[in-house]
Parts: sequence; C-alpha cells; structure tokens
Amino acid sequence: MKAPIRAALILAFVAALGVLSAGAQGTVDRAKVLRAAADALGMVRWSDIGTTTTRLPGIDIVNTMEFRGGEYHVTLGYNPPAMRVEMTRTGPDGRAAQHTIQTVRDSYAWDESETGAGLVPGKGTATPAIAAVKERLLQLWTLPYGVVKAALAAGDKTTVSTEGGATVMTFPLSGQLAGITVKATLDSNNLVTRVETRSDNPALANLATQTEYSNYADRAEVLTDIKSPGRIVRRQGGRTILDIEVKAWETNNPYLVFPVPANVKSAATANSR
Amino acid sequence: MRVLACSRIMAAAAALCLLAATVVAQQGPPARRTNNAPPKPSGATPRTADGHPDLTGVWNGLGDNLNGVPNQIANNGVIIESESSARDLHNGQPVAVFSRNTNRGQNNEEGERAASLLRRSGSNRPIYKPEYWEMVKYNDHNANEEDPSNNCMPAGVPRGAIPSYISQHPNYVMFIYPGQGGLIATQTMYRMIPTDGRQHTPLQELDGTYTGESIGRWEGDTFVVDSWGFNANTWFDQIGGYFHSENMHVIERFRREGNTLTWTATVEDPDVLLEPWTTTPRVQLLNPQPNAMLPESQPCSERDLAHIVTKEHH
Repeated sequence: MKAPIRAALILAFVAALGVLSAGAQGTVDRAKVLRAAADALGMVRWSDIGTTTTRLPGIDIVNTMEFRGGEYHVTLGYNPPAMRVEMTRTGPDGRAAQHTIQTVRDSYAWDESETGAGLVPGKGTATPAIAAVKERLLQLWTLPYGVVKAALAAGDKTTVSTEGGATVMTFPLSGQLAGITVKATLDSNNLVTRVETRSDNPALANLATQTEYSNYADRAEVLTDIKSPGRIVRRQGGRTILDIEVKAWETNNPYLVFPVPANVKSAATANSR
Repeated sequence: MRVLACSRIMAAAAALCLLAATVVAQQGPPARRTNNAPPKPSGATPRTADGHPDLTGVWNGLGDNLNGVPNQIANNGVIIESESSARDLHNGQPVAVFSRNTNRGQNNEEGERAASLLRRSGSNRPIYKPEYWEMVKYNDHNANEEDPSNNCMPAGVPRGAIPSYISQHPNYVMFIYPGQGGLIATQTMYRMIPTDGRQHTPLQELDGTYTGESIGRWEGDTFVVDSWGFNANTWFDQIGGYFHSENMHVIERFRREGNTLTWTATVEDPDVLLEPWTTTPRVQLLNPQPNAMLPESQPCSERDLAHIVTKEHH
C-alpha cells in the first residue's frame, strides 16, 4: 500500500473514531446531566420498605404538587398534565381585588368561578378558554420538575452544552407545545435556575418567556427530600409578569385532581370541528 | 513448555474457583426481583364440583410476611417492568427509570419518605366532589392521627383487598384477613359471603358495619362480591385519605388463573364521589407450599403512634 493511501486511511480511521467517541460522549453526558438534575431536585427515588424480596430501580416520583406565595396558589400534576392557578390581584387605586382561577388539563383549558366549578350542578361556573391551553401548559412544563421530565421525554433531541461555565440543556417540547424550544440552565448544584422558551413560529411568539428559580429547599409540611424553589421570577418581552416568594410547596404527591367539566369538553369538541 | 504447564494449572485453578463460586451462589439467598410486574399465572386452575374456579387457598405467595401483607410497592399503581422501563398501570403513561445511586444509601427516614412518595405517584385516584377535595388532602397529610384503621381497628372494604385465606363452599365463601401490628396496626377481619342467591337487605334496614353486607355471585369464572351497609369508619386504602359515606356500595371482582388471584373493586358513593372509582388491579400468588397455614395474627396493641414526630405515613 502506497504511503499517501495508508496515511489517508489512517486519518479516516482516526476521524471516524473521533466521531464515534464524540457521539458516545454526548450520550453519556446527556444521561449524566439529566440524572444529576433529577437527583438534585429529589425526583429519583426507590424504596424497599414493605418488601424484602425486591430491589427495584429508582423512578421519577414527582406527580402532584401544590405551592403558595402571596396571593398566588397553584396546584398541579404531571400525570395527567394539569395545573390550576388561583390569583387574587388587588386593583390599583384601591379598586376591588380581582380573583381568578385558571385551569388546564391535557388539551382543555377553562376558568373557574370557584375551585371545581361546573362539576356539580349549581356549584359555580366553568368557562371554556380553549385559546389559553398552550400558555397554561407552558407554565407547567417550565417548572423545574417539568423541565427535567420534558428533557427526559425528548430523548436524543435533548442536547447538553456549557455556557459561561454553566451546564445548559436544550430540548424541544412536544404535543400541544410542539414548536417551542426550552433552554434550561443548571447551577453548580445541578438545580434548574433559569428556563428560557422560544419559538421560530411567529404565531407562538407570545410564548417566549424567561423564568428564574432560586433559594431551593424542602419546604413541605410533610417532608419529602424534594427540593423546591423559594422564589420564581418570570419575564416576557423584558417585562416582569410574575414575582413570587414561595411560602409553602407541598411535594408529597398530595390529593389534587383536575376533572374536566362537561361543558368544557363540549366546547373543545365543537372547536375542533 | 514450563510456562504452558503453569498456565494450564492456573486455568484449572481458576475453573475450580469459578465452580466453587457457582456452588456458593446456588446455595445463597435467591436474587431479589428488580421489577414489580404482576406475576404471570402458571399451572391449571382447579375447579369445584359445580364447575366454578376454586378460590380456596392461602393467598400470601407475593406477600413479604406470612400474614400476606401485600407488597406495598407493587400496589402503588406504577409498574416497574425492568431496570429500564416503568409505566403507570392505570393510563399506561411511561415513567422515567434510573439506576440506584450506589454512592449514597438511604437512612430509614429517607426510605420512609421515598416509600410515601412512591405509593402516591400513580394516576388512579378517586374523584371526589369538589367540596371534599380539601378534606381528602387533610386526611392524607394527617393520616397518622386521622386514619381510622390505626389503633387496631378493622381495615374494612375495599382496603382489605385480597384476603390471605379463602375457603370456598357450595353456599358461601369465607375470607380471612389476619390483623397486623406496627403502625399500620389493624384488627383481624373475616367475611362470610353467601352465594345462595339471596338478595341484599334493604339498606335502610342495615346497621352500618366495617365489612358491610356482602353477597357473592359468579359471572362466568369471575367471583363477584357485592357489598353495602357499611359504617363510615374506614378508608379505601392505607394511603390517600380516601374516606367514604355510609351509602358506599362496593363491587369486588376476584379472578383465579392458575396460581394467581386478581382483584379489583369498584366503589360507588354518590354522597361524596363525583363518579364511581375502580381500584388498580392487584395480583396475589397462591402460597406454593401444599401444607401452608396462616400463622396466628399478631396481637394488635398500638404503641408507636404517641412517639411519631413526623408526618410521614407508613
């Protein structure tokens, strides 16, 4: 074999090895980063209590949660994906406080006149809000736990990089939120501290947000070793749209349910025709 | 040549060591299961003279003690199929699986918290009327004090789920649920379920009891137990704070296939539930020992509750 050909083959072999190595490294890094992020939040858990015959692997344990801060009360769940946001905003110039309950589950969104409105005859009113599905679901999936779950679900589409010394995960959302990309920054403890969403689709431009999470601790009444942020600041178009000092964050998969009122289902069906 | 001989000796020694290790491994304790998938049935389904599947037997083959206390993790509604796959048993949604962190073990407190979370992570929850949502949450948060079955009271129905012993007769079936000590202390409970075609006593004529009035019937190979006439002193399960009214109606279904018994219960309680609720199926194995017996149930004497300092519910 002539020397130039041999050299070219060696070069190609080394290059191929490099590509394979980089690919393998990327996979390992992604898995490690996702695991570290899930561990930091306390999401990965296993238990042998009640059994001496099994040694089960860990699973993602987060499903339902509830947190309060100021006049902001949120209940949420990831299976099924659902969120109920209750706000009381005092009007400027002494105007009466405005109380709203905004709920979403799967592909349904509605406003409630009281918690659980529209489920029992004569108990409040549920007003369909189909156009709000994406915006409300985005709040759920950009919470730290939602970020880790969505990054895991995105599989190979999740990329991991380093920016300014910080680890960054970037991944696309799917389902109702297809077309939106999430960029999540981890701190040195692997906790999600900053989440940015963007879309190349102009129709989804209003869903571009930046949310910062800080002051993590286990602040649940029933301690769970799950870490939750103590402060949430969300910005949109440079304007702060949310700033919450969290007082309590119940993480023990509490009883939280989100049944869809019949009139909301009917409205969604009619809208899809 | 000397090198070759030496290599052969070393190889032979290594083989002997491997053989010895294999023998030790075979004599050691069995490997722990790394999944909680319901067991697949094996063997034939025995039948009684009238042609129905014979449910008679000691049903504690999957329990972790002789009283047949069900594997709590297997009952939480999340099925771990392998070390890389898990899903919610109710709606099939995938659940992320991770290897155990071998760098750091869990102390007892952390283990209890993990167990508490695991058992609440499934999606199958009864849907109460909105006015009771806070009450259910309160019950669950304060279950150490609020759980009516603590302090040695009966578990009731449907909480008893699969009895540890079933005795099937032509006109009735007997269920026995041995009591257990510890913080989940419950009293021994039994149910005598007629299968003679009788009808329920009108509800208003019954005094509410822990196990209610149960009547059995066969739907094909499924044994159906229809119960009402309960008091309101039990919960649907050990976790969740799922209370009920005296108007609860429970329909349990037992199906034997080979050495497995599968149970579900549908709870109707229009006083408090928005809609009927069906439990996640539970599967129990027949005790494989032909001479299996139920041991004496532990005397129920609650001594731990006063010393509990956290809210974790066991």
